[in-house]
Amino acid sequence: MRIRKGPRAVVWGHLAFLAFVSVIVGIYLIDARGVSLSVNNLLLVQPAAVIALILVACVLPQCFPLRTAADSEIADSEAGDSEPTDPVVETKAEGGQDLMRVGALAALLGVFAIFIEQIGFDIATFLFVAIGLVICGERRGWVVATFSAAFTLFVVYGYSTLVPYPFTMRIL
Amino acid sequence: MLELDAVNSAIALLTSSWEAWIWVIPGLLVGLFFGAMPGISITMAMAIFLPLTLYMEFLPAIIFLTSIYTGAGFGGSVPAILMNIPGTSSAVATTFDGYPMARQGKHNEALGIALASSVIGTLSSYILLAFLIAPVSTLVLKMGPLEMFVVAVWGLLLLGSLAGTSIARGLLAGVFGVLLGTVGMNTAGFIRGTMGVPWLLDGVPTIPAMMGLLAASQLLNLVNVNYLIEDQGARGLSFGRILGGVRLALRYPTIIARGSIVGVLVGSVPGVGSSISNLISYSETKRNAADADTFGKGNPKGVIAAEAANSSSEGGAMATMLALGIPGGGATAILLAAFAMHNIVGGPSFISQNKDIVYAIIFSNFAQAILLLFVGLGFVFLASSIVRVPLRFLVPSVLVVSVFGSYALTGSTSGPITLFLFAVLGWVMLRYDYPVAATVVGLLLGRLLETNLLRSWQISGGSINYVFERPGAAAILALMLLSIGMTGLSRYRRRRAAAVTPEIGS
Repeated sequence: MRIRKGPRAVVWGHLAFLAFVSVIVGIYLIDARGVSLSVNNLLLVQPAAVIALILVACVLPQCFPLRTAADSEIADSEAGDSEPTDPVVETKAEGGQDLMRVGALAALLGVFAIFIEQIGFDIATFLFVAIGLVICGERRGWVVATFSAAFTLFVVYGYSTLVPYPFTMRIL
Repeated sequence: MLELDAVNSAIALLTSSWEAWIWVIPGLLVGLFFGAMPGISITMAMAIFLPLTLYMEFLPAIIFLTSIYTGAGFGGSVPAILMNIPGTSSAVATTFDGYPMARQGKHNEALGIALASSVIGTLSSYILLAFLIAPVSTLVLKMGPLEMFVVAVWGLLLLGSLAGTSIARGLLAGVFGVLLGTVGMNTAGFIRGTMGVPWLLDGVPTIPAMMGLLAASQLLNLVNVNYLIEDQGARGLSFGRILGGVRLALRYPTIIARGSIVGVLVGSVPGVGSSISNLISYSETKRNAADADTFGKGNPKGVIAAEAANSSSEGGAMATMLALGIPGGGATAILLAAFAMHNIVGGPSFISQNKDIVYAIIFSNFAQAILLLFVGLGFVFLASSIVRVPLRFLVPSVLVVSVFGSYALTGSTSGPITLFLFAVLGWVMLRYDYPVAATVVGLLLGRLLETNLLRSWQISGGSINYVFERPGAAAILALMLLSIGMTGLSRYRRRRAAAVTPEIGS
């Protein structure tokens, strides 16, 4: 295999993802081996975990793509900003603000999912839709309030009718 | 080829109750609506509505989901023609000639052509499936645990290697999914990877995880996208000219037949599906056409080829899923999950013991295809306004529906929490071009792979020679090699297709 030489970038996000996968696979393998070393326990899990770690090693070089001359120029002009030059990442290039919006919505989804029972389905849904609309770019206050209230009523009553589990409510 | 007893039972099943039928039109409308929304995939639409089917009988649930599948197949072509934005990945080739036709003022004809080709493509693929299902079911019954294991590995291998740009990333996504699918108690009674969380004893909640990976992750990706379309939707629609397009499509039976065959064959291979079949069919039609130089400039044959292929892929994918219990991609993975929700295990035993249900599913798809013609004709009038719904309203709304759906499935926050974790995982995977569908299928197949491997191990007493005592397994291994060769060929053809097809948006 020929290894091309030249300046390389680091795709930190991809590297972090691979680290995450490796840690999860490693912990799972250790846990499974801790339960029992019996073939009946490890027959699939151990080889699959080893294959996963080998594949992580195969993908790892893709976190360090070659910078083309043009990329280097751009990177140089960005004064040390080592954002990815991975062609895949390039096609999905997003500004920091765009990523922050995704992060904000993901965090909001996390809070909504984890605390929905404690907050109450009605209030949690209203707040999620309202804040979600603002994150997604809606700036008209009356639209946010009206749409969130109408959608909350529709979803909460719709699901309470369809689903046999009780939904914790605070107002409705 | 048709088993008449099973056919009669299927007809009795479908005619004995209205319940199976009332879900067809809502399913088609949901599919059309979501398919027409740029950025919303077929699998996302099916994943969002999957929890609703928990409270339905098995047959209506499957008919509802396949109706969404059928509707979304055509729905994706509406924005492709009107706005040059493929609503789903399977409508990419439709933009090549559909949008130029629209720019020439022939959008009514293009929509009619797409509708007729979709209807005929879906119909022909299910007709083929109806005739093949009986011989296939006798063949698959001869499969033991080793054969099932080999077939599942094969499907996963194909899916991992075909989806996405890097084979290693695809395989890693698949293997990671398999590992996650084995969390919890295995068939031998060992409990692994639960981290002391009680609800993980039964494994990762598959459907919330699937909804997170396939739907919520893509919604997070759409936060920065706004499809407020300014002027194109102002075009007037004419019922007569749409019907003219339907008639025009019928003048090219060879192209429809070629597209349908390509769609069924390509659709039946795990990991390929409609997103590739439409490109192959388009390039084949262009290659064989006398007026090849007009392709990409508004040639109706291009729209026919693309739409016939992407719609007929559904039948091919269903064949693999029904016969082997192996989902070829996201949409069939959701159908398999719907099977599991109703305590039905897909695969060889299902197809042999429930031929009546299988025929009922196939026959209902005939009806869906025919109904699509009428529902689709009405829908195109709504579609030009639907495609302009701003995504900022859709993203939080659909996320809420997903969270409620996952809660409805589990009855606790375990569903929403799983959905959230897998949404973030899916978003990162999409960002770095990992095929999320491979992880979903791995997650679904993890338990099946482990159980069948354990059984093979126990039967063989751990001897590797057992492989040679099973000619079926050896034959499947040979087939695996052959299919990998074929997929290599299809990859080559796909590249060629990409080379001969004009750029989107040109």
